[in-house]
Amino acid sequence: MARMKFLCDAERCIECNACVTACKNEHEVPWGVNRRRVVVLNDGVPGEKSISVACMHCTDAPCAAVCPVDCFYTTDDGIVLHDKDLCIGCGYCFYACPFGAPQYPQQSAFGVRGKMDKCTFCAGGPTADNSDAEYAKYGRNRIAEGKLPLCAEMCSTKALLAGDGDLVADIYRQRVIRRGGRPQTWGWETAYQS
Amino acid sequence: MKLIRKKAAEVSSSRSRFAGEAIDRRTFLRRSGLALGGAAVATTLPPLMMRKAQASMTAPKAGVDTKLVKSVCTHCAVGCGVYAEVQNGVWTGQEPAFDHPFSLGAHCAKGASVREHGHGERRLKYPTKLVGGKWQKVSWDEAINEIGDKMLEIRKTSGPDSVYWLGSAKFSNEQSYLFRKFYAMWGSNNGDHQARICHSTTVAGVANTWGYGAMTNSMNDMRHSKAIMIVGGNPTEAHPVSMQHMFYAKERGAKLIVVEPRFTRTAAHADHYVRIRPGTDVAITWGMLWHIFENGWEDKEFINQRVWGMDQIREEVAKWTPAEVEKVTGADEATVKEAARLMAENRPSTHVWCMGGTQHTIGNNNTRSYCVLQLALGNMGTSGGGTNIFRGHDNVQGATDMCVLSHSLPGYYGLSAGAWKHWSRVWDVDYDWVQSRFDQGSYEKSKGKPVKPMNTKGFPVSRWIDGVLEDKANIAQKDNLRAMVFWGHAPNSQTRGLEMKKAMEKLDLLVIIDPYPTASAVMHDRSDGVYLLPAATQFETYGSVTASNRNLQWRDKVIEPLFESLPDQTIMYKFAKKLGFAEQFTKHIKVNDDEPLIEDATREFNRGMWTIGYTGQSPERLKAHQKNWHTFNPNTLQAEGGPVDGEYYGLPWPCWGTPEMKHPGTPILYDTSKPVAKGGLNFRARFGVERNGESLLADGSYPVGNEIGDGHPEFSDKLLKELGWWDDLSADEQAAAEGRNWKTDLSGGIQRVAIKHGCAPFGNARARAVVWTFPDPVPIHREPLYTSRYDLVAKYPTYEDRKSHYRLPVRYASIQAKDYSKEYPLILTSGRLVEYEGGGDESRSNPWLAELQQEMFAEINPADANDHGIKDGQQIWVEGAEGARLKVMALVTRRVAKGVVWLPFHFAGHLQGEDRRAKYPSGADPFVLGEAANTALTYGYDSVTQMQESKCSLCKIERA
Amino acid sequence: MYARAIITLAAAVMLTACYESTDVTVHKPGVYKGARDPLLAKQRAPEQQQTLRERFALVQPDR
Ligand code: SF4
Ligand code: SF4
Ligand code: SF4
Repeated sequence: MARMKFLCDAERCIECNACVTACKNEHEVPWGVNRRRVVVLNDGVPGEKSISVACMHCTDAPCAAVCPVDCFYTTDDGIVLHDKDLCIGCGYCFYACPFGAPQYPQQSAFGVRGKMDKCTFCAGGPTADNSDAEYAKYGRNRIAEGKLPLCAEMCSTKALLAGDGDLVADIYRQRVIRRGGRPQTWGWETAYQS
Repeated sequence: MKLIRKKAAEVSSSRSRFAGEAIDRRTFLRRSGLALGGAAVATTLPPLMMRKAQASMTAPKAGVDTKLVKSVCTHCAVGCGVYAEVQNGVWTGQEPAFDHPFSLGAHCAKGASVREHGHGERRLKYPTKLVGGKWQKVSWDEAINEIGDKMLEIRKTSGPDSVYWLGSAKFSNEQSYLFRKFYAMWGSNNGDHQARICHSTTVAGVANTWGYGAMTNSMNDMRHSKAIMIVGGNPTEAHPVSMQHMFYAKERGAKLIVVEPRFTRTAAHADHYVRIRPGTDVAITWGMLWHIFENGWEDKEFINQRVWGMDQIREEVAKWTPAEVEKVTGADEATVKEAARLMAENRPSTHVWCMGGTQHTIGNNNTRSYCVLQLALGNMGTSGGGTNIFRGHDNVQGATDMCVLSHSLPGYYGLSAGAWKHWSRVWDVDYDWVQSRFDQGSYEKSKGKPVKPMNTKGFPVSRWIDGVLEDKANIAQKDNLRAMVFWGHAPNSQTRGLEMKKAMEKLDLLVIIDPYPTASAVMHDRSDGVYLLPAATQFETYGSVTASNRNLQWRDKVIEPLFESLPDQTIMYKFAKKLGFAEQFTKHIKVNDDEPLIEDATREFNRGMWTIGYTGQSPERLKAHQKNWHTFNPNTLQAEGGPVDGEYYGLPWPCWGTPEMKHPGTPILYDTSKPVAKGGLNFRARFGVERNGESLLADGSYPVGNEIGDGHPEFSDKLLKELGWWDDLSADEQAAAEGRNWKTDLSGGIQRVAIKHGCAPFGNARARAVVWTFPDPVPIHREPLYTSRYDLVAKYPTYEDRKSHYRLPVRYASIQAKDYSKEYPLILTSGRLVEYEGGGDESRSNPWLAELQQEMFAEINPADANDHGIKDGQQIWVEGAEGARLKVMALVTRRVAKGVVWLPFHFAGHLQGEDRRAKYPSGADPFVLGEAANTALTYGYDSVTQMQESKCSLCKIERA
Repeated sequence: MYARAIITLAAAVMLTACYESTDVTVHKPGVYKGARDPLLAKQRAPEQQQTLRERFALVQPDR
């Protein structure tokens, strides 16, 4: 079975934010919640690089390890999902996550956390696939439709890759061989211990 | 276990963990703008409720039929394909268009969020007028009647030239064409659109060098480049998806060179970066050419066969020694030589340029110098080479070709009597009637003879304000402008904001026709006489759109117009009816319920646009291309198999002859390696056949299969007869072609026969490196009007003032006479952000985009910040050299050099520190407002096209 | 391992925040207690895996 992974090729990422707005669009994520965002290193000077980051769907996910109500589960192909009905919005997973992926919509002006929201690898959550209920809580389930995460599918330069980790690695390896240089698989060591 | 209630440091702690100490522009701005953005949304609905409200309306529903509609992104001229999912008439999803030949599924932030246009939360919802300072809802009929009556009254007292029709690069080709026809029939040349202030200097400079003023190759063709040089352009933000093709080339060894005052995100990906002082493009180009000549890197055979005037260029270039180049541009010898070497040793190499090159008082010199560089290197007419001039708006190429301009009729026919007669024949209306629509007076002379307004250039959009404010005695028309129609145009894209405010207040009538209210609704303090009419977006109608690469793409209608908005063609028809020329306007165009039939408009321009080959692209052919996206090879843009086998995607113009001739389109201009019938071409014979006793025709260079086997003049009935090819015409064609040439023969017979014999209908000539009809025949450097290097003015002075150009006096030397650099010591320049487009009203009203850029800012170098005691994130005043002040946030960064301040130009809604949000009609204010950069940008216009100088002025800064 | 480090870091951040709390416990990864996700069964079908592979070949490589 495939092991789903994300990879952002920093040599190609141009910080255009297509991935970010594609995600907003696909799941109608509200203002203030960012399942995906682009971070920049060395902004404005030679060596500037950008990387698009969301939940990496870690092997042995640290978020799951700290969750006091055990609302996380991992699919057989490695997608880390959670049940919003159980989530109590405690914020532990945010502190556990090496990528700062979990997000908490504000429920009122006083900043009480809402249920945690994060990238689902466009795979919805624990409700009937592609139901209206699933959409309202988790966004669209593209995986169930036989599609891949929209952020990667719409990336302006195909910097962001998503899918079976072996296939992703193949494409990336080819690119590195073609252009020379050292592979820089941002976040892979942390997320996938590989 | 304790719940940890803590929220403030979340973003930063995760960020710093991941990204070390680095803090980027976005984090910086988001953090600082958090309160503002939150407030903007909170005033309407709390986020969770907003989500619910949205979800109930626009979310995809389970078990409902989904229709997939093909369209094209409306945010830039890359022209990415859009797949829209529609359920019950609601736009519920967007899928990547993998099979699209340009984008291969990709989008940038703007394209990935176009579905929001179908929500239209902040759109203009119904016709509105300003009464006693309050917006009041009116019906369409009332609005058209009131506006029409006022215009007719102005027409009676001041003449038709006192109404200005400002059109748009957001129109489809058909709407552009109809709009151009509309103000022709109103009887004025006072119409224009964004091309004036984006690439007018390119169109003029390039067309006068080799024939056509457009991008010569394509984004996809850059895959074959061995070196790519980008001057004054930032495609990672302005044309992001083009980068996919550039990376394709780069990963296969191509060198990327960026020449720019600012270390852009594109520069971050470059192999070689050359930082220059703004406004020194000719100097840097001649500096490179100096090394090319010095080392004998030029393509001598190409120059001998296909170029005229290179000797005169050599004389000028000889003056640009490395020392002089460094003195003027700031770039040292090694850096400049390396750029030249990379371009010379990695051929074919291509040259990309954008607004950084065009928006100058010497914009036309800049664009011509780039052309000369490519001619010297022999990079023209070859795959992987060319001048890849990236156009901005999604249809700015098409709207330019339709000549929504003040100086030409569609297809660049000009404004001569012959041009008007040609189009009168195409429209099938009496030339005398058309003539009678114009002011019959005369206000200027040409070659000593009085000329009529029908044949003189109207005001350019860059200077409409002078048409209002200038003393009547100094303008070359009957009266000042009294009514202004902004039809899809943001005012904050034009310079001299404070004077614009004054001009808006002086008008009798201000009409804004747009999906969004734009800054035109709020930047003035009028209390009456302003109308806002809601136009539909391009997703709510259909038609063709021309991408930067000259390819025509067909868009289908995604959804019906939202709220009370109407498609532009319908609004035009309603006005034509009211103003009394509807019958002539749509003589051969079917009208359904006040909506002119788009396909009939396509067919009509097919019948008239012979000059640039917009004749072969019938609606049927374009629709077939749209249906078969997947059959086009992204490396060549040629269809392989399928129903349009062998044709190039979107039939890139020139697509010669009639649609029946089935010309495949011309993917690369001036490429002699293919027969003309298969998309080959040569330089156009546009400037006569000889100059100073030297032949201007090509020498021994011609497209494959050319039966003349050498240079030749353009085709006419006479040339056909001389060549003995006249009898190749059918009897009908002969009747139509008699006394005509390739541009005016409405049967297309002359073109057909020329191509049959392997010849380009427009002749086969040399490119001219020297444009003797321009103020500077050989492109030379001239210092900007507001220059930071006053010491260079003596050697590189600007032009003398001119009395009348485009009906207006133009100041040059009288401004440069004063040294402003002491009082205003910093250079002021401007540019783009990826999230926003143009004036930004549309994109700042899209929450998915607005969230990413919530605050207007100014980039300043750490040294300048320290000199002024300014810290990152503080509010500062930026004061332009004409005194306008902007209150913006300081972003301290090395991206800009010391002494340079950079502003993004997409913001509006604040004026000199004042937030004017309350002035918008309720519910139509964009999420994000800010100071408009152009408020502070100053006077200065190109000597040929009146392009505004918006890339190089002066300013001073202080803490607010 | 990493998780523990991060939690320590979180604790450190907390200390500087509004109140003190030193009793951070690392929770033993428990058993998922939420609702069953029908996607899991679907993903096990070889046809579904094949569809996703085909999709990948369509969307991700350069063309
Ligand atoms: S990236 Fe963060 S949220 Fe996603 S699986 Fe890893 S730890 Fe959990
Ligand atoms: S869409 Fe691609 S290139 Fe653009 S920011 Fe995201 S990962 Fe980077
Ligand atoms: S704005 Fe341009 S690059 Fe971005 S998606 Fe639209 S057409 Fe493509």
